[in-house]
Amino acid sequence: MTGFQDTGERRRTSDAPPLITDLLDEETVQSIAQEAWSALVGDDEFLVPLPGGLPDDALSSWVEIVGPWNGTVVLTTGRGTAEELARCLLAEHAPPVLDEEDVTDGMGELANVVGGNIKAVLPGPSVLGLPEVGTAPTASSPTDTCRTDLLWRGQALTITVQGAAGALTEPNNQQKNEVPL
Amino acid sequence: MKILVADDSRVMRQIVIRTLRQAGYDDHDIVEAEDGADALAKVTSEQPDLVLSDWNMPNMTGIECLQAMRASGSAVPFGFVTSEGSPEMREKAANAGALFLIAKPFTEDTFKEHLDGVIA
Repeated sequence: MTGFQDTGERRRTSDAPPLITDLLDEETVQSIAQEAWSALVGDDEFLVPLPGGLPDDALSSWVEIVGPWNGTVVLTTGRGTAEELARCLLAEHAPPVLDEEDVTDGMGELANVVGGNIKAVLPGPSVLGLPEVGTAPTASSPTDTCRTDLLWRGQALTITVQGAAGALTEPNNQQKNEVPL
Repeated sequence: MKILVADDSRVMRQIVIRTLRQAGYDDHDIVEAEDGADALAKVTSEQPDLVLSDWNMPNMTGIECLQAMRASGSAVPFGFVTSEGSPEMREKAANAGALFLIAKPFTEDTFKEHLDGVIA
């Protein structure tokens, strides 16, 4: 007798949290980011889907999403590009010399807007955290990461949607979480 | 007319104010608040005719500010300008007494669409 043989193995997908790669693709991320750039940075500001090397002084901003999918939306670009973005966001209110607060505020708000719109296309209900700026949190699992490499004005800008689900996909981390309360 | 713009991001407050002007609302007084608690205090001290507020802010969120305003008897028109616009949030905003919820990113046309009936 030929045909399908049931090995008895089952993938119990209902037991695992969704992976971001099953929920989101790079084109959607780019589309969301482009809409934010056109509205906030400038009508004629375009994000080109090409990879570029991030400089050593890269700065990141991110927001956390907590819901059926848990993780962070991280924007990373060079410090000079972050300053240029802040100038565009502030427009005529940009001072001759930017404050550090203006740069972090601008980067944080871009992560907030992009993250809020990414949250809208993910399963809900979810909660969005407040934006943070600094050194990007490390992605916990390559399989739960959607990375979009872009160029803005020829400079590299990366948007990473990275899961916090490493504990459930990496057995070692799962053990770490099994701490008696 | 006096408009209170509440957002914990100074950059975003500037963008909201710029968009108000681009939408044609350039002859109004603007007051800024840096979080919900500041906005609530300025509703009393500044007596604005309209509040445009972010939702997600430290100290006091926009929805908490609106609920506190209505609980204290303030009927000042209130609209959200926020990075999230889920159906659940829109329903919660409407139930609390918000006139509208504008999701970021927005354009001057979005502002006109929501504000033309509110700003004389």
